[in-house]
Amino acid sequence: MIPTQFDYVAPTSIQDALAALAEHGDDAKIIAGGQSLLPVLRMRLNAPEMVIHLGKIDSLRAARDDGDAIVIGAMTTHHDVLHDPLVNEHAALIAKAVEHLADAQIRHRGTFGGALAHADPAGDLGAPTLALGAEFVIAGSGGTRTVTAEDYFVDLFETAIGEDEILTEIRVPKHTGWGVHYEKFVRVVHQWPIVAVAAAVKSNGSTISEAKIGLTNMGNTPVRARGTEAGLAGAELTEDGVRAACDRAAEGTNPPSDLNGDADYRRHLATVITRRAVLKAAHV
Amino acid sequence: MTATQERPAEQVEREIGKDRRRKEDQRLITGRTRWTDNITLPGMLHLAMVRSPFAHATITSIETEAAKASRNVVTVLTGEDLADTQGVLINAWPITTDQVAPTHLPVAIGRVAFAGEVVAVVVARTAAEARDAAELVDVNYDELPAALDLKEACAADSNNGVLAHPDLGTNKSAFWKFDSAEAGTGGDVDAAIEKARGDGIVIEREYRQQRLIPAFMEPRSTVVDPTGEQITMWSATQIPHILRFALAATTGVPESKIRVIAPDVGGAFGGKLQTTPEEWIVFAVARRLGKPVKFTETRSESLMTGHHGRDQWQKLTLSAEKDGTVTGLKVELTTDLGSHVALLGGGVPVLGAFMYNAIYKFPAYQFNCQTVLTNKTWTDAYRGAGRPEATYAIERIMDELAVEVGVDPFAIREQNWITHEEFPFTSVCGLEYDSGNYEAATAKAKEVFGYDELRAEQKQRRESNDLVQLGIGISTFTEMCGLAPSRVLGSLNYGAGGWEHASVRMLATGKVEILTGASAHGQGHETAFSQIVADRLGVPFEDVEVLHGDTQIAHKGLDTYGSRSLVVGGEALVLAVDKVIERAKPLAAHLLEASVDDLEFAEGRFSVRGTDQGLGIAEVALAAFAAHNYPEGTEPGIDAEATYDPINFNYPHGTHLCAMEVDTETGAVKMRKYVCCDDIGNIINPLIVAGQVHGGLVQGIAQALWEEAVYDDAGTLVSGSFVDYLLPTAADTISFEVEHTTSPSLTNTLGTKGVGEAGTIASTPAVVNAVVDAIRHLGINDIQMPCTPERVWKAIHAKDGGGDKPTEGAAMPHFDASEPGTDSTEGAGQ
Amino acid sequence: MELTHRFTVPTGVEETWAHFEDIASVAECFPGAAVTSVEGDTFTGTVKVKLGPIALVYNGSGTFVEKDEEAHRFLVDAKGKDKRGNGTAGAKVMLTMNDNSGSTDVEVLTDLAITGKPAQFGRGVMQDVSDKLLGQFVSCLEARLTGPVTSDAEPAVGMTPEPPVAATAAVSTSPDGALATPPPTAPAPTRPVAAAPPADKPRPEDDSLDLGATVLPILARAYWKPVAGVVGVLALLIWWFAARD
Repeated sequence: MIPTQFDYVAPTSIQDALAALAEHGDDAKIIAGGQSLLPVLRMRLNAPEMVIHLGKIDSLRAARDDGDAIVIGAMTTHHDVLHDPLVNEHAALIAKAVEHLADAQIRHRGTFGGALAHADPAGDLGAPTLALGAEFVIAGSGGTRTVTAEDYFVDLFETAIGEDEILTEIRVPKHTGWGVHYEKFVRVVHQWPIVAVAAAVKSNGSTISEAKIGLTNMGNTPVRARGTEAGLAGAELTEDGVRAACDRAAEGTNPPSDLNGDADYRRHLATVITRRAVLKAAHV
Repeated sequence: MTATQERPAEQVEREIGKDRRRKEDQRLITGRTRWTDNITLPGMLHLAMVRSPFAHATITSIETEAAKASRNVVTVLTGEDLADTQGVLINAWPITTDQVAPTHLPVAIGRVAFAGEVVAVVVARTAAEARDAAELVDVNYDELPAALDLKEACAADSNNGVLAHPDLGTNKSAFWKFDSAEAGTGGDVDAAIEKARGDGIVIEREYRQQRLIPAFMEPRSTVVDPTGEQITMWSATQIPHILRFALAATTGVPESKIRVIAPDVGGAFGGKLQTTPEEWIVFAVARRLGKPVKFTETRSESLMTGHHGRDQWQKLTLSAEKDGTVTGLKVELTTDLGSHVALLGGGVPVLGAFMYNAIYKFPAYQFNCQTVLTNKTWTDAYRGAGRPEATYAIERIMDELAVEVGVDPFAIREQNWITHEEFPFTSVCGLEYDSGNYEAATAKAKEVFGYDELRAEQKQRRESNDLVQLGIGISTFTEMCGLAPSRVLGSLNYGAGGWEHASVRMLATGKVEILTGASAHGQGHETAFSQIVADRLGVPFEDVEVLHGDTQIAHKGLDTYGSRSLVVGGEALVLAVDKVIERAKPLAAHLLEASVDDLEFAEGRFSVRGTDQGLGIAEVALAAFAAHNYPEGTEPGIDAEATYDPINFNYPHGTHLCAMEVDTETGAVKMRKYVCCDDIGNIINPLIVAGQVHGGLVQGIAQALWEEAVYDDAGTLVSGSFVDYLLPTAADTISFEVEHTTSPSLTNTLGTKGVGEAGTIASTPAVVNAVVDAIRHLGINDIQMPCTPERVWKAIHAKDGGGDKPTEGAAMPHFDASEPGTDSTEGAGQ
Repeated sequence: MELTHRFTVPTGVEETWAHFEDIASVAECFPGAAVTSVEGDTFTGTVKVKLGPIALVYNGSGTFVEKDEEAHRFLVDAKGKDKRGNGTAGAKVMLTMNDNSGSTDVEVLTDLAITGKPAQFGRGVMQDVSDKLLGQFVSCLEARLTGPVTSDAEPAVGMTPEPPVAATAAVSTSPDGALATPPPTAPAPTRPVAAAPPADKPRPEDDSLDLGATVLPILARAYWKPVAGVVGVLALLIWWFAARD
């Protein structure tokens, strides 16, 4: 399908991008990798007059070491995130989630920040960044500000990014050496997860000392399975040892109902998938 | 049943049976060809369609002024504007004489009957501008209640329910029945069932054939150029000849003034076996404006308005002796036609009418089918067209019979199937199956599958209450293809015949041009037909050119569907080639100064018996062209053509075995192994056959596991994109093991049988039988397709544990159920 | 699609009922809605639905189909068409109030039908979006009924909407603040209508300043260019008033 006509600008700096955004405001849409926006434009479910492409802003790309955290530029493609040595060493949970995100073609164009700005609760990046306690750096005309993951994911397709702001980078606290796994439940490989679980587990091999669990598609935003996290502290690393805690995974969630499953089914799935994710994260 | 020709004794098969890479693939795979959407003509205009969002509504007003004023818009036309010229869409197969069918206009006038129906057409200089202007067309509707649920729509007459077309007074379109006692081909099924209720076994089941969307890769596109002496239409269609005929019949334009071309077509699967509103609209607008016009649909439009497939409720009653010998089968179908009776319409379920008895020796059989109108997209042919539905029902219920009798599902089949020695066998429907060997195909499939080992594993998992259970599904299918003997079609009230035509032109330079009435859309006809001609005529494979898809070039034909191109089109080709040889013989004899009786033809060469004198066919062709020296009183030339009307359908068969793992914790199913042994007679090109089998398997498996067209209670197609209409990719399927046995067909020269639809027909029940088999010990005897993890899981955990009825609660789609009655802000866990 | 919402307000049934005499006030509670004209029991207006990448504008109307003072129940039937021909949205909202010893239990039953592209989009997204918007609608109703009209709902500078205007005003539901955009239609003079969408979350900044920072640039790029001059002047006035608070 053909989108409506739009103007296009590709600023080369964040300042220029912010200026363009300020100038066109409501009539503009930012495009990163386009993997979320282009289908919407093609289906004419939106008709911005101006599309601001961030692709020429080099400073938004790549990951860097920042002491106790790594920082991933918003325009880093999923493919680059997946293969980045810093991500794989210090925030491997993200790599695990990106590994099965959509398909290879999409991973080469789609961006880390773009997906996070889109904030689809069924997107694969919300759960791992929430679980790892990431911080989101947002630039606006008044300067930059940092928002915690809890505050960043506001609602369905809604983040803390203001109308005139741009997500520039994401700070992920290092979780070096943690056992990680992203378990994705789908019917066909290329679909959004029906339910997915991001699990980061610290253990001594037989007992869990700490667990961080993020749930995908269990609400309007990614969700921390806090009940499970609490229950896993000190739990024995066996199927039976973690079962009770994982059975709490759906606590406080409000999953959607759709053609792939209703809310009750998803709540049940969350418990099973969480258990599998936790055990796989700890290499059991 | 014979009437096949003897093969020439010296026939050497160098090409037939060879794994030839396809001639057409280079251009098809690289896209370096002319798809309809690639066609650009000087002054060409583009269309955009304005479509109804409502499933049923009266049109109260259409405001087109704003759209007309839009940039580069030539005009905007409504149904009223086109009333005199748009023609009407026809149903070529009224299955009964009293069939009720609403008038089917390309552009609606006054009332819309399904979501997506065209209400206005925008004509502009570019496609983008046409779409932009389409947004400005303001249509006002008065919504009407929509008939959406098939069973409710069927019952609407008797309980003042919603009518899809109020002026028709009913939703019931036609009721078609076949009874073996009435037909004299078998016994009385009601008596058999009655008796079995007393001293035998009666199994009653209801199955759902969900609605599917053909989802071919190339969206439909049509270009019409009215500026020549003939009006030329290019369309992504699988039926150019039928299209030409239908256009002439409904628009008043003489048939001789219409030329239809199907350029390379990117897949169809029955979905392009249709006369579409878009084609009629492009035709009408082009004629009206006197300029070339193009319309290419978007994927959204394709999914929503391209005809859908299947959509039936199937009620079966099977009667048998206590030992499992079948005594009767009664089938009662309710089928959803959609808003209009499309080109084949009710004919699709009827095509399956003679296949429910399948490979089994039922003494009594009855088939009843009620076709019903609803306010949804119309349904029509989709890979298998009636036969997958039939095979699904019978193969599922045979498994139920096996469970009832307490025997292995193979045992019950062996007990009831037609044995190899019994061929040719006349079925309880009066059809003669020419050849087959169910024993051989089954034995081979079982061996490759490792049947006994997998049964042992299943037992072990069951005993240890493994969280992952294993199920084995069987499908011993046959189908009737090679559509079709024309007289049979006539007796069924189908509007056209089932013959096929081929012309062979022997060019002066030694090349051979074949014109075939078959219309390939990915099947590889150019390659297979070249192989046939190469062997039979003794010319190099590369020297054969196969022309098709253009009514002005391949002027006579009935196009491609129903796995007919090889068995019918190929037979016409063989006959034509043999005629060429017959025509060439006297000329060759004359040139060789020998008697015709002394001539032998082998490997492309006429030779005088006992000598080394001879002439190649190419030399004879050149001589015919020059016509300097030919027998007095004969016509110069050795070209020939043939029209072949099949004397019977064609009956490939096979045994398919599927092993499925069921994760009882999540309901997820995973295919472990899939083996099939198909008997499709003699194989011309194993590579082409493999492609057809693999592709067919995936489409059948997709029906079992993934695909379903879902409407909400407003009549909107909510599975309107590939986000929700789950089309599998190679990443979702395993490698299949495909074997063959060979029982040559007795009804065509090459002994071939159709294969295009076989994989789809066979695989669906194999998969579902496997899923059910895995969890049957938990009290389940059915999972409604597609077997989503949720449905499987809910069936496992349903309180009533299954039993005789299909697992209603767990199996029904839930999408439009009420929301939990709480605020959305409750406990979002942020 | 049927959606149910319930809430309780501390006031009695009669008083609560009285708040709903005015259909325009009911309609305006819907996020992104702007009423452009009222005639008896019927209103016309627009709803701008903006969620993530999707932005749709529905033009339509609604009517009090039923107003039962005895049973304290009313039914509003609203229908709208997407501006770009993407389909329609229809909502039948049945609101019932029941006395609960001095408080009122309010039940809102909505039968929502969305046709066309958005409904086809996939994964039932529109269902989630609708549920969310309805939740906001209900919260707004609840807020209106619970206490005096809050500052959120007040026009920014005491400019009250005057009786029926032919113009259409579209208000977007951005998370940050109320944005008023001038309408695109021809004859009538434009009037920025600053009505805040009901918010579940507290705004990060003081409203008036926020309005100042955001309203000026928004107003400056008027949809309807000929009005820009007038709007520009009005915008300056708003900003000046706001800055003075």
